[in-house]
Amino acid sequence: MGEQLSPLEPIFRPGSHGNFVDGVGVTLSEIAPGSIVQLAAWPGEEKKLMAAIGSVTGLKLADGAGAGASSDRYAAFGFAPGKFLVSDASEGLATTFAGKVAAATGTVTDLSHGRTAIRIAGPRSEWVLAKLFAVDFSLPAFSVGSGISTTHHDVFTQIQRSGPDSFDLYVFRSFARSFWKMLCHASDEVGYEVR
Amino acid sequence: MSPRRTPSGGRVNRLRTIRFTFDGTAYTGHQGDTLASALLANGVSLFGRSFKYHRPRGVLTSGVDEPNALVTVLRGEVREPNIPATMVEIHDGLTAVSQNRFPSLAYDVSAVNQLGGKFISAGFYYKTFMGPVIGPLKGTRFWMLCEKIIRRAAGLGRAGHAPDPSRYERMNAFCDVLVVGSGPAGLAAAHEAAQSGAQVILAELDPCFGGSANWSGETIDGEPAATWASDVVGELKTHDNVRLLKRTTVWGYYDGNTLAAVERVSDHKDTPAKGAPRHRHWTIRARKVVLATGAFERPLVFPGNDRPGVMMASAAMRYANQYGVLPGEKIAVLANNDSAYRAMAALAKAGARIIAIADLRQDVSAACRKLANDAGAELLTGHAVISTEGGKKLSGVKLAPFSATSGVSTGNARDIGADCLIVSGGWSPTIHLASQAGARPVWSDDLQAFLPPETGKGWIGAGAFNGNFSTAEAISEGFAAGRNAAGQPALETTALPDIEPAPLDPNPAPVFEIKAKGKAFVDFQHDVTADDVRLAHLEGFVSVEHLKRYTTLGMATDQGKGSNVPGLAIMAEALGKPIPEVGTTRFRPPYAPVSVGALAAERFGDLKPERLTPMHDWHLENGATMYSAGLWFRPMIYGGPGETIEQAYVREAQATRETAGIVDVSTLGKIAVQGPDAAEFLDRVYSNVFSTLPVGKARYGLMLREDGLVFDDGTTWRLGEHDFLMTTTTANAGKVMQHLEYFLDVVWPDLKVHLTSVTDQWAGAAIGGPKAREILASCVTGTKVDNEALPFMGIVHGEISGAPVMICRLSFSGEMAFEVYSGAGHGTHVWEALIEAGRPFDMVSYGLEALGTMRIEKGHVTGAEIDGRTSARDLHLGWMLSKKKPFIGSAMMDREGLSASGRLELVGLISLDNRPLSGGAHIVEEVDAANPHGSLGHITAACFSPALGKYIALALVSGGKARYGKRAHISDPLRNRFGPVEIVSHHFFDPEGKRMHG
Amino acid sequence: MLITCPYCGPRDVSEFAYQGDGNRTRPDPASTDSEAWNAYVYDRLNPAGIHNEIWQHAGGCRVHLAVVRDTLTHEISSVRFAREHGTPTHSRRNHGAKA
Ligand SMILES: [Zn+2]
Repeated sequence: MGEQLSPLEPIFRPGSHGNFVDGVGVTLSEIAPGSIVQLAAWPGEEKKLMAAIGSVTGLKLADGAGAGASSDRYAAFGFAPGKFLVSDASEGLATTFAGKVAAATGTVTDLSHGRTAIRIAGPRSEWVLAKLFAVDFSLPAFSVGSGISTTHHDVFTQIQRSGPDSFDLYVFRSFARSFWKMLCHASDEVGYEVR
Repeated sequence: MSPRRTPSGGRVNRLRTIRFTFDGTAYTGHQGDTLASALLANGVSLFGRSFKYHRPRGVLTSGVDEPNALVTVLRGEVREPNIPATMVEIHDGLTAVSQNRFPSLAYDVSAVNQLGGKFISAGFYYKTFMGPVIGPLKGTRFWMLCEKIIRRAAGLGRAGHAPDPSRYERMNAFCDVLVVGSGPAGLAAAHEAAQSGAQVILAELDPCFGGSANWSGETIDGEPAATWASDVVGELKTHDNVRLLKRTTVWGYYDGNTLAAVERVSDHKDTPAKGAPRHRHWTIRARKVVLATGAFERPLVFPGNDRPGVMMASAAMRYANQYGVLPGEKIAVLANNDSAYRAMAALAKAGARIIAIADLRQDVSAACRKLANDAGAELLTGHAVISTEGGKKLSGVKLAPFSATSGVSTGNARDIGADCLIVSGGWSPTIHLASQAGARPVWSDDLQAFLPPETGKGWIGAGAFNGNFSTAEAISEGFAAGRNAAGQPALETTALPDIEPAPLDPNPAPVFEIKAKGKAFVDFQHDVTADDVRLAHLEGFVSVEHLKRYTTLGMATDQGKGSNVPGLAIMAEALGKPIPEVGTTRFRPPYAPVSVGALAAERFGDLKPERLTPMHDWHLENGATMYSAGLWFRPMIYGGPGETIEQAYVREAQATRETAGIVDVSTLGKIAVQGPDAAEFLDRVYSNVFSTLPVGKARYGLMLREDGLVFDDGTTWRLGEHDFLMTTTTANAGKVMQHLEYFLDVVWPDLKVHLTSVTDQWAGAAIGGPKAREILASCVTGTKVDNEALPFMGIVHGEISGAPVMICRLSFSGEMAFEVYSGAGHGTHVWEALIEAGRPFDMVSYGLEALGTMRIEKGHVTGAEIDGRTSARDLHLGWMLSKKKPFIGSAMMDREGLSASGRLELVGLISLDNRPLSGGAHIVEEVDAANPHGSLGHITAACFSPALGKYIALALVSGGKARYGKRAHISDPLRNRFGPVEIVSHHFFDPEGKRMHG
Repeated sequence: MLITCPYCGPRDVSEFAYQGDGNRTRPDPASTDSEAWNAYVYDRLNPAGIHNEIWQHAGGCRVHLAVVRDTLTHEISSVRFAREHGTPTHSRRNHGAKA
């Protein structure tokens, strides 16, 4: 069975909102990838796991904390030592990885239903996100492709910079509606478009 | 034109008129005015009444240090009290009122407090509210009445009750260099740091950048200083790496160079821009901080120094030079240093008449004499003001010869008429932030002030903050500090601008007080006088920290910006010690008051984070009354029309036991435990064994804490050889996760186990009751659900309405029951399919109340019984404590105290008077309503049991099993509920479990 | 206060959860030495000065960290992964916090 019901459904209002008279500062959208998978390597096995990610997604991850990359279909980034979040526009990624990651290398955990992916893009993205997270979003500190784990109040969030002014946010599904409300509220000031 | 507005000069826009009201009277001012400058321009001198004595007060300063002119700003129903009029920018529609007066500012009945003399002196509150310890009023309520009246009479503004509809926001920022203050020093520092490419934030608490450049009247490189400042700001604006924050008060300096600031985004506007907050709270993490916070001019302590019309010299200069307002027409001067002469000259230039200058010093420099002469003022050296005349407005001052060594007047007094007295008692560098950061101030005998140490770990000072008061020094130190903060090497020579006029001597005479008859105020806002400080000393207070608390000196909303040093000096004199030996108090955040809204920001009301299950909207659409459990929202009941809560849950529980019921269990904590050592890990963390659990089966598990008490329980499902799905209670999900992660990371890092919260991955529906299996069978495809395919604690995989599901046969209700898990995004779809399948069987959806009722009937424990004090044996779960292996808590669980007799044990209670029982009620052998005592334990959970047709409860009772069949009583004096109960086993219903085994 | 997580970099203290005295060593699981268990479960050092602490980056990578912190100044002199460095960097006194 495909199509998941979005937790944002009843409050998702496409169109322009807030103070948009001088143009919208950010665009908010739900990415709704088909798959979100967490991969975790045993200590010392990180390279093998990264190779598996490369072989499935074609994404080459650099060494180092938070390194990541994305393509039209896939996105991947490190969010904790030896741990990576990988998303795929299509379903079934967890099954694919289950066949590619040996028990001796690490584990595969399907989070396709457990996380909601939201994209914020536009010239004021850094400004809006800085309201919610105590993290430096400037480009020198947070490069394109890389990822982090952080928290807004109780809402644990994994963030990948998907472009110079675009960020993909992965939040727990149960918090997604609440988080979306906060994000819209924070975006009011700069004007935002939902699509 | 307003009476006191100069025809030209200043930085207000005379072409733009702004209308506002103060105490109901309409006034006009100009763009660029503060409420203080606009009211002064209108000839208003009376701004408020004082804290204790209700003395009339005017404006003393022109900035954030203002102690007197506090007002309440009204926005519709919302009142914001205690705002210095000097910090309120006027805007059309501004409505402000004065404070602490009744019935009106001009006629205040409590002003008689003044006549009481020593009535409200130091330590007044401590002494008074103890009440009389002897005499006829001892122990009566008389003092409580007095306290009410006194507390009402003394005080500042009144807070409102209306909810504040304003928007507040928080913001995080990171920078290489944060420059606090945008006077010449701060601007120079920001400029240099920006040039080097560093990320710079410049924060200025005023509405315009430039600080003293806006009112000093100096020229820099031949241009007015204000022009120089706006040129620098203009250049800073062209840098991408610079963020300019005006109206932003940096109020806290915390560890790790984290600074807190509040930006007043919309206070100066009639209506905020759409979506813009009123206040924005900034948390700034700076690699280096440049403190260019300037200095405050100190008042002198002399009788009548609080009369409206007495004003700090620098403030008077600022009103004239920045706002084009004369604070008076006939001005007298009282000073112990040169800086007042500059102010006097500015006032003379702006058109005021300078009557006389009383300089406390015998010797005055030629430069000052020339300024006095140019202004046409009579210069009286070695003179002091010993009192002020006038009622609500200064009409004159008494001058007398004065000895700086004795502090008293030495000759005959002379009256002169004046409507304004400008005062300068020297300058105190604004070292608050450095002090917050841990810097110990250093006393300077020359400047008679506390200076910051040279530099701090994370900050560099510049300008008047360092005690270097001239503009030339400010700019040169600012340049150096900016380069240093940006990590640039110092330059050997720097081309510095030319500044006119040359600086005067910054050192004051060491005089803080003029001793003469009458109330001489040290702390204006808290009405603390010099005599109060001496009284505190006489009563034995020697520590400056005690003095501060006892007299409340420096504890008002201005935090003693002007009063700290004079207070200390008077204390030092009383103690016969030099000032540095008395020491100073450490400054604490906030530097200036911060709105609570800015601190709370968005975390209230609709924007509070909440967790919703995948079926949340279905519950709402189907009549559920929701209940918040931590951050989660869960259905409490699905009440029908006119149904009470009890009727609803009784109906739901009854229907479940008769046919079937379904409940949303998605909130249960779910943790994926994966890896080759997962089974070994579970053996260590659970009290029972999991390594023997076959794939495709689940087991109930119990966790203890290290101290041997029960921690949490839940079922864990073995989905694969290395793959377990652990469930926890809803409330403990986070705690269990953290507990497990701790052991993996810190205690057993050698175990190959990964833990992942998958709570949100799965939607869970528990379906139970005699018809549950039939209902399931009618909608599940891809697997059988009969006893053979799905035995008790078995797990199968299948589909419901096209969505993959995982079904485990386990029971919390005691019925034949199944937990159906599906991907959260399919949760509502699967739930609706189950509801549809249950329709022919009259299946009900039930909420937490019915869930709780059925678990009480079964005697299952939850958080109410697992309260952090109960052992497994207390809960009759001793059978779950494996003897074959050590586990967390096994070493401590058999301690003497945990196996002693007489511990509280889990029992059941049946109400014998057919009335409800309630949680928290105590159990006693005999009721003694008048003197409740002899508790045997307490009720943890209670309900009406439809299965038994009785009110029942679970309880923790001393003796436990031994009391089965015995009568006892509940004793609940708070709710006045007493009555007989029978103590029984906690297994009320179907103790053999026949129903769930089918 | 900022704690520099070896993985995530400097983060605000609000992202971290204090997980107790880092000087404790858990007795052998099979040990029946009640004194040792008592010391492990209940005794905590509470020094005025340098202290070994365990913090979890709960609002970030969720890793436990061995932090050496001065309790008087909040200055942090070392942050390392707890799993790689079971033993504290700062020498401990014998037997708990009785001293
Ligand atoms: Zn981290």
